[in-house]
Amino acid sequence: MPDQNGPFFEDIDMGDEIGPIELVATDENVSTFCELWGNPMPNRFTSQEIAEKSGLPGPIVPGVMSMAIMSQALTDWAGPESLKDLDLVFRQPIPHNKPLLISATVTDTREEDGENIIECDVLMMGEAGERYVGGIAIITLPSSGE
Amino acid sequence: MTMELEYNRDLYGVEHEAGPFEITADLIQIFNRSIGETSAMFTDQATAQAAGYSGVLAPPTLVTMLVRNVELPDIELNFGVMRFHAGQRVQSRAPIVAGDSLMASSHLKEVYPKTGRSGTMVFTVWETTFTNQDGTVVADVQESYASRE
Repeated sequence: MPDQNGPFFEDIDMGDEIGPIELVATDENVSTFCELWGNPMPNRFTSQEIAEKSGLPGPIVPGVMSMAIMSQALTDWAGPESLKDLDLVFRQPIPHNKPLLISATVTDTREEDGENIIECDVLMMGEAGERYVGGIAIITLPSSGE
Repeated sequence: MTMELEYNRDLYGVEHEAGPFEITADLIQIFNRSIGETSAMFTDQATAQAAGYSGVLAPPTLVTMLVRNVELPDIELNFGVMRFHAGQRVQSRAPIVAGDSLMASSHLKEVYPKTGRSGTMVFTVWETTFTNQDGTVVADVQESYASRE
């Protein structure tokens, strides 16, 4: 059951832009995530020293976590049960405590097997235009007539 | 020219299983806190129950954190000195709800080379299927690892 405040299928056209939605992964967020994930700490996601030894300027956001953040932005927009497929490529290390700008562009709308589907190109960027994560999302939306 | 890769092809068709993973309300709550998730369907039992679920919904990518618990073998790829997590795909098949118990089953999906501006990389893709206590497939996760020279 999609969020009643979310968009309807009929409201969406090819080329529509969603976002950018700004989110931040703080040091505390990443530590909480790593603890739950079972990744022994400290690690390159939580420690400046270990990150530098790996050739990174500082601790980074795990790719798995960046996917969770992108998923959150999409379900906030379309509804909690809307995201059917999220296929991402991790392009660059993502820093902590910096604005992450998440956007989507609708590339297709169709009805398939009784579902109203929109397909989007999705992107997570930094403030200076860094392209951290890119990919494709498939989202289902309710019809305004349902 | 086709690149001939050396790796253990006997791993195709072999399933590697792990679980059960108990999806508790606490687990979902901590996951929510780590990413700042506040949607009522993921955080509030009464809202989820009003929508017909027995407990709060798990955000669709929560299962990706469980994949690391599956012990996967070395594919013995004879290429590259550096390996990194290049990408990930999650396909949601059915809702995952607090109280569910999930099993994971992983297999080697494909190994392929790709040549771009930065040279040749070899991608290893593992696919994990999550099934709940009723035998319903709830999610498929693909993890792609790149090896670079």
